[in-house]
Amino acid sequence: MRLDEFVARRQQSWRELEEGIRRARRGRLRGMSAQDLERFGMLYRRAAGDLAIAARDFPDQPVTDYLNSLLTRAHPLLFRGPSPQLSRVVRFYAVDLPRAVRAAHVYIYASVGLFALGAVAGWLAVILRPDLVATLVPPQVLDGLSQGHIGNETLKQFAPALAAFIIQNNILVSLIALVSGVAIGLPTAVLLLTNGWMLGTLGAAVHQGGIDAGFWALIVPHGAIEISVILIAGAAGLMIGDSLLRPGLLRRVDSLTRAAQRALLLALGAAPLLVVAGLIESFVTPSDLAVGAKLAVGAVTGVLLWSWLLLAGRTGRAATARRAAVPSLDVPTAA
Amino acid sequence: MLPDVLKVRTADNVQIGYVAAGIPSRLMAFLVDLLINAAVLFVAAVGAAALYSALGSSGGVAEAVALTVFSLMLVLGHFFYFAILEATSAGRTPGKRALGLRVVRVDGSAPGLGESLVRNIARLVDYTLGIGLFVAFFQPQSRRVGDLLAGTVVIRERTAAAHVPAVMAPVLLRAPDSGPPIDGIEHLGAHEHGVLRAFLSRPGLPPEQRARIAHDMSVKLFERMHLPPSAPERIWPPELFIERLYLQLSARLGLS
Repeated sequence: MRLDEFVARRQQSWRELEEGIRRARRGRLRGMSAQDLERFGMLYRRAAGDLAIAARDFPDQPVTDYLNSLLTRAHPLLFRGPSPQLSRVVRFYAVDLPRAVRAAHVYIYASVGLFALGAVAGWLAVILRPDLVATLVPPQVLDGLSQGHIGNETLKQFAPALAAFIIQNNILVSLIALVSGVAIGLPTAVLLLTNGWMLGTLGAAVHQGGIDAGFWALIVPHGAIEISVILIAGAAGLMIGDSLLRPGLLRRVDSLTRAAQRALLLALGAAPLLVVAGLIESFVTPSDLAVGAKLAVGAVTGVLLWSWLLLAGRTGRAATARRAAVPSLDVPTAA
Repeated sequence: MLPDVLKVRTADNVQIGYVAAGIPSRLMAFLVDLLINAAVLFVAAVGAAALYSALGSSGGVAEAVALTVFSLMLVLGHFFYFAILEATSAGRTPGKRALGLRVVRVDGSAPGLGESLVRNIARLVDYTLGIGLFVAFFQPQSRRVGDLLAGTVVIRERTAAAHVPAVMAPVLLRAPDSGPPIDGIEHLGAHEHGVLRAFLSRPGLPPEQRARIAHDMSVKLFERMHLPPSAPERIWPPELFIERLYLQLSARLGLS
């Protein structure tokens, strides 16, 4: 077929496809009737076939560029990632998030390990070198702690603002722990180590001062959730770092992309829990409850959190085997 | 400069190429988005502050949640502006739309909520010390860290090839020039020009068949041009005659 015959014969259908693209709103074909949609799909496939012909027979002609441009505009309308749906949120928290946490258990161990390493090192540093306590722990903090509580009355007055600040800050920290994983996880590891170190040095210092109960009453009620979430976000960051260090059979970039999706699931899923932690931190922690009650709040929230993460979304062995038997194809879903 | 192209194989096994957006146009789109984003956040902040002072402080959990939402909006609103707009408009924030850019996944499909969140939360990294700019400078298709994490590319939607080209089949010529002026050319018009063009743009004819058609055509053309039997054009090879005639007629009629 001659080029002008090819164009003359096919351009009507190309123009119709263009019209369909123009009718798409917000990158969607929602407004179209079922018939129009079917027609759009057919026109798209025809244009794809035409591009194949044009690329073979008229490789350097403008019509080939035109068809390519037409298809690059039509393709993302038909092929797309899943769109956000409210109903998926429930399933995400009931099933997907706990499963993702369990699937990432290696990274959770690493994250906990780094945090614990920092804490033990901090504890040992204070115990072995008592002369360094003043440098390791700011004296004002110790003074405040030895007087019982740090200005509880002022804290209570500003509780809402304090909660907002703490929550916002913690969410930011967990997101930073997540995305800084791209530097092969080093900033994430440093963040986990220093947080552990701070807890360790403080814990040891107050232990030497003999005011353990008061200190832990300040940490535990909200810390059970807060530290857990930071550890999960840290695990997500380590996952991203590991994907760069050990990409396996994938290209490093592809490995990174794949890990980032899973890591985001973990970190962003867990981050809203920081709202709960922040509310406890500014309303329960400075309250007049007995020390035992405050510790119980921490224990209960911790047990609830981890039993949810470890138990929710489990299925019987048969179902797991069935799922494993179905090969998964990494093809984008057609809308 | 050759465009930086992202090649994608579709489900129909046809290869299509997305033209990647360059750093300058992406920065321009970013500036537009930043302005809109700042305006929206400013209005929201003033509105929330007015609401807060009107309602007064209650000191309760509800106030804490309201304040949290507000401060999160201020701190993360920037990132969520991009993430939500990209997820709901198939990868086109207002700034990108203004510059004719779009986010697509590396397989050419439109990004979902997951990709939009990843690539925009990663702005935390990209903004730090200008890492994003640095990485984009060295990455094929100018991808920043967020793009690498999310598996996305920013492409240029508006390209020169956005319209059906007014195509003419290419003409196959072997004559180096139009040769000496041909007598009687004034008897020919656009119709003959079209016929000559159709003949010359037909590929794949067997040589002897092409020569025979050229001969038949030239005999008819001689008649129309009222060429005397002694004219030198009559002893040119017919194919050369047709090519020269086509070139001269094109120049005469102002056609290509």
